[in-house]
Amino acid sequence: MTQGQYDETTADEPNEAAEEKRHADYKRTGRMTLYVRRFFRRPSAVLGLVLLVLLVFFAVFGNKFTHWTYQDLDFAALGVPPNSDHLLGTTSGGSDMYAMVVRGLGRSMSIGFLSSILETIIAAIIGTSIAFFGGWFEKVGMWCLDMLMVIPSFLLIAMLVRSSSGTAGWLWLTFGLTVFGWIGYARTLRTLALSLRELDYVRASKFMGVGSFRIIVRHLVPNLGSVLIINTVLGVVGSVGSETSLSFLGLGIKAPDTSLGTLLNEGQSVAITAPWVLLAPSLVLIALTFSVQLIGDGIRDAIDPNSRSVGKAE
Amino acid sequence: MRLFRKTKKADTDSKVLVGGGMDGTTVLRPEDTAYNGMPSEDTVLSVRGLRVSFASEAGTVHAVRGVNFDLKRGKTLGIVGESGSGKSVTSMSIMGLLDSNSKVTGSIRYNGEELLTKSDQEMSAIRGKGIAMVFQDPLSALTPVFSIGDQMKEALEIHNPDMSEEDVTARSIELLQLVGIPNAEERLKSFPHQFSGGMRQRVVIAMAIANNPDIIIADEPTTALDVTIQAQVLEVLRKAQKETGAALIFITHDLGVIAGIADDILVMYAGRAVEKAPVDDIFEHPVMPYTMGLLGAVPRSDKGKSGRLVPIPGSTVNLADLPQGCPFASRCPLAVEECRKVEPNLEPITGRVGQFAACLRSDLVVKNHLTFTDVYKVGESTKSIFDGIAREDRNIVLNVNHLRKTFPLTGGGFLRRKIGEVHAVDDVTLDVREGETVALVGESGSGKSTTLLEIMNLASPESGTIELFGQDVGARMSGAERRRLHERIQYVFQDPMSSLDPRLPIYDILAEPLKVLHTSKNDINKRINELMRLVELNPDQVDRFPTQFSGGQRQRIAIARALAVNPKLILLDEPVSALDVSIQAGVINLLEDLQNKLGVAYLFVAHNLSVIRHISTRVAVMYLGRIVESGETEEVFEHPQHPYTKALLSAMPVPDPKVAREQRRVMLQGELPSPTEKIIGCPFASRCPLKITLSTEQQLLCETEPPALDDWGVPGAGLNHMSACHFTNASVSAS
Amino acid sequence: MLKYIVKRCVNYVIMLFVATSMTYFLASAFMDPRSNYMERHPHPPIESINRSLTNANINDQTPILVRYWRWLKGIVLHWDWGLAPDQSSVRQAVGSRIGASVQLVTIATILSIVLGVSIGVYTAIRQYKWQDRVLNMVATFFLVIPAAVLGLFVALIAIWVNTKTGVRIFYVTGLHAYDGGNPFMWFVDFLQHIFLPTIVLLLPSAVGYHLTQRTYLLDTMNEDYVRTARAKGLPLNKAIRKHALRTSLIPTAVNVAFSITGVFTGAVITETVFAINGLGRYFTTTISTNDINGSVCIAAFGGLCTLAGALLADIFSAWLDPRIRLS
Repeated sequence: MTQGQYDETTADEPNEAAEEKRHADYKRTGRMTLYVRRFFRRPSAVLGLVLLVLLVFFAVFGNKFTHWTYQDLDFAALGVPPNSDHLLGTTSGGSDMYAMVVRGLGRSMSIGFLSSILETIIAAIIGTSIAFFGGWFEKVGMWCLDMLMVIPSFLLIAMLVRSSSGTAGWLWLTFGLTVFGWIGYARTLRTLALSLRELDYVRASKFMGVGSFRIIVRHLVPNLGSVLIINTVLGVVGSVGSETSLSFLGLGIKAPDTSLGTLLNEGQSVAITAPWVLLAPSLVLIALTFSVQLIGDGIRDAIDPNSRSVGKAE
Repeated sequence: MRLFRKTKKADTDSKVLVGGGMDGTTVLRPEDTAYNGMPSEDTVLSVRGLRVSFASEAGTVHAVRGVNFDLKRGKTLGIVGESGSGKSVTSMSIMGLLDSNSKVTGSIRYNGEELLTKSDQEMSAIRGKGIAMVFQDPLSALTPVFSIGDQMKEALEIHNPDMSEEDVTARSIELLQLVGIPNAEERLKSFPHQFSGGMRQRVVIAMAIANNPDIIIADEPTTALDVTIQAQVLEVLRKAQKETGAALIFITHDLGVIAGIADDILVMYAGRAVEKAPVDDIFEHPVMPYTMGLLGAVPRSDKGKSGRLVPIPGSTVNLADLPQGCPFASRCPLAVEECRKVEPNLEPITGRVGQFAACLRSDLVVKNHLTFTDVYKVGESTKSIFDGIAREDRNIVLNVNHLRKTFPLTGGGFLRRKIGEVHAVDDVTLDVREGETVALVGESGSGKSTTLLEIMNLASPESGTIELFGQDVGARMSGAERRRLHERIQYVFQDPMSSLDPRLPIYDILAEPLKVLHTSKNDINKRINELMRLVELNPDQVDRFPTQFSGGQRQRIAIARALAVNPKLILLDEPVSALDVSIQAGVINLLEDLQNKLGVAYLFVAHNLSVIRHISTRVAVMYLGRIVESGETEEVFEHPQHPYTKALLSAMPVPDPKVAREQRRVMLQGELPSPTEKIIGCPFASRCPLKITLSTEQQLLCETEPPALDDWGVPGAGLNHMSACHFTNASVSAS
Repeated sequence: MLKYIVKRCVNYVIMLFVATSMTYFLASAFMDPRSNYMERHPHPPIESINRSLTNANINDQTPILVRYWRWLKGIVLHWDWGLAPDQSSVRQAVGSRIGASVQLVTIATILSIVLGVSIGVYTAIRQYKWQDRVLNMVATFFLVIPAAVLGLFVALIAIWVNTKTGVRIFYVTGLHAYDGGNPFMWFVDFLQHIFLPTIVLLLPSAVGYHLTQRTYLLDTMNEDYVRTARAKGLPLNKAIRKHALRTSLIPTAVNVAFSITGVFTGAVITETVFAINGLGRYFTTTISTNDINGSVCIAAFGGLCTLAGALLADIFSAWLDPRIRLS
């Protein structure tokens, strides 16, 4: 609770806004500065950001540090532990683990980010239109959303991806994850858009004769923006999780392509004899999801108007 | 919560000082020079040097900065202040309910016991038993998932664990009856959502007095309620205080509310007490210019319009970044160099027993008997461009005929079938002419805002007609014609906080309506510059964001936006009710000036009768979607005819203790009927104080026949005063 | 109240029907049982392939609506969920595996709710204290670990413990190994088996409940009515437990319904890792063998679980919230 909640008119105003209201011309903190400051005040968020930057760097430039590619097989070194030539050892088939992890990380990352972004876009469009059109459309739309949530999407994605293989497989997987992944977000965004529709400044624009499209673009999308960003970031964790699970079960990415899930599958059978094959992709995967989650949490906390991470009065 | 001042010391102090009276002669604690007098025998609560600060993004907020007061048994202390004055924080620190990120120092003694050193566990033994509290918003104050009975029971059992089940029930019923809840026994099983706001506040009061507390703290207990309900709840509080003999701390921003109920008043500004005196002295001869402003800047509902309002200039200070010296200095017309250097303490006023003020210029004020009008500059009002033109000769800008609007009432569940309808607006007829202000007044649920929204829709209403500038809005129009209509009618919302997009700079906000009209960029720039000057803001600030302005400034921006396209009619929905008292006057003046200068007409919705009386030329009183009385403002206020108008007027708090104490209120029974209820006859019949005095046949008429709005042959009334009551004449002669 | 539940049920049955039918069409469009035969070298004669496919009602040369109608009739009239491409009965396959899945998922779900909600409450009351921060970090960590990684690591650790102690404390495959008649021994054996997969299923959903319950409780903790309760004389912790907790459980109840899907997904991985012959593992088999009828049956079962959860959530939230109950 902040001091804003103690006075009569500003009960549910964001803390900093209430603050500003009282003393317009003196001390001001811009919204973005505030968010950035709050984000960087969280050690965990900073940790997540650093970790993710490192991972992206690793996925993009990692192959520069070895002469092996993920498709090369070194028959002279089958299932060897990490050494100076094979930085992370090799699989029993002779693939260089380092090159495989770099490639797999890149795949998992691109699938995760791409499908999460696409999911957010679809969810935003469908969720907000259900809220805006209202009435009959809303009733049917909501019923369909509920209905689509009945069957576990994991199963549907597996069915869809089953029929695809080869190098375009990852695109199919992205497509599958997207097509069945947006439904939950759409529900959330609809609820949010519903409350935005009733905002005074949206009504004010309507009363001034501003067109619907302009209102949506100028007033609504920026308002949904923060939620969309958080959803996209946290959606990456879910997408990466689904991708690795499917690939692990042999239903997602298949050879010759590789992803972290495929590598896990490979590591499973040799977990005792060649633990590095399991360990390397596992650790990279955990680092990826964990860093993204920390960043998402950091953004959420920074944007949250009720954030209490302000510290104590001296 | 940490306590810095050692209580030991305070103990010895009080031993030495017993006998020190309230006359302020014994100012003894050097670190608290603002201190004034020692607690005497009958003091139940004594607050000394209370300071509260919070951490915030902008730095440490000093919400309370050295507050001292004593509360005597059975007496009522009113704490008055605007938002950010620290009044609520003070009450929360007494209750020990402040958030953990706050720092509290000083001393709060309840019956001699220091409260600030107590743990939450120890405090909970006192809360609800010794000190009870009533909060502002009754709608959220009760747990939605527990029944009223359970919550009453809890209040009793916490402090009386041995009470038997039967005793608890009996006492609960007794308490609910005391606060005026009918069918108390059955209502114990009800849940909060089945009660109206006023009823819930009664339940909260019943819980507060359950254990006969020594002190009741009421924090804005009636602010969220309608005027007639406010009067009822004030009455209940008064009764509760009488029954329990408790001392009452009444916190409010509205001096009118406490004029009739308080014994002493403490005025707070920027976390400090700036004036303290018995209630009559505060109202009769305030010393601190801020107190004068609070009293003088508001229009009075019991007096006719006497001229232009006098606003307090400027806005409240930043509690995280306080200026040196008196925090009010920047707004004070009497301020001298000294005021900006030293912050004055609350000192006794020579020659005024019991009155204290924190003002360096108090001697000047007392010596010269300065009053509000001496201190503040009275501005010149602009002459209206329609001055001298009779109403009949002006053009009609808005003509609403028999407007009706119903909302379907749907049941829960999957199919959401319609189970009835709410008559939000029922047969409303009104007209607005050039350059005049027509006010719609009524309580929540009266349909006044719905009427505005229906007009703003610019579409054929459900039933009836709406004509704007002679054009029927329901008729087929081309896009250009419709845009032209939009151009001539604008809207101002209640809360400037929410009606301006916080993400856009002021420039973009003001440009939005102009862009709809495809104005060129050059013209937009020019117009925005003009607009900013028109609403008395600095045009250099257009690239700032709404949050960087104060509430009053933001409402000015909202008004500027409405004016951007040179409208002929502006609909205003409670434009000043979200603003602090001290800035309301400035906005009202601005609205008046703009009308006089530009000849724009206002349709003004408000629940505050004083504002309406000041600003409007004509008024329509609404009840349950219908206009029950309408006419010229002065005429309606001076000679109300409808029993509802009379009740409304008499329920209005008057900021004058003498009047307030003697005011005879027409106390309305019960609450607004449920919107689902089908009403055949007069909508007011269920609560009408006149009806119960009538004969059975007459009552039957009220219940079966809806009265039409008519002048009822009252001599000289004509179109200028109409009322919708079958017994208008009877009611006039009865009063 | 009863009417409310009945209305809900009817709606859910319709939803399940539409969703399952949709899945049937989707599966028929994307799965290709013919390839099972065509990939063999040499492939069997075309007529014999067609005969087998037609017999299982999965021949892509039969119009889809005809197949759908037959499939539907079989279910409605005989509770017959069709045949796999290898002509084995789907109903029998599912029937024999359902027990293992139910044991696994039920135990994990109940435990995760109890555990997650209590930790959520514990940390919410201690917001920003070290217990809260540590538990949140741990929770975030487990929340993001993909099920496969978690499963493999738990199994590895168990094997390591087994070899270190030299005693077979944990079994990493199957659910039962004991054949004797001693019920106590049977139970111990069962515990040894179910412990690891339960941990793997429980951790992610428990931390999920922990984090959401914490948020909900923090939201309700700042409500005015909690302040009222404190003003009446309830100490902070008691006021939270009594007044904030109950309202904050309502959204959790709704969450439980929708998370049943998640438990099911998690079970697919868990059953694969721990070689448990449950529905999850069966599902991967149906997908990789192009078993249209089998996979649709699993999807329908998954849907049924979701809706059962949704119904429970409806009843639970109506029970908790008089505003729903009395409207």
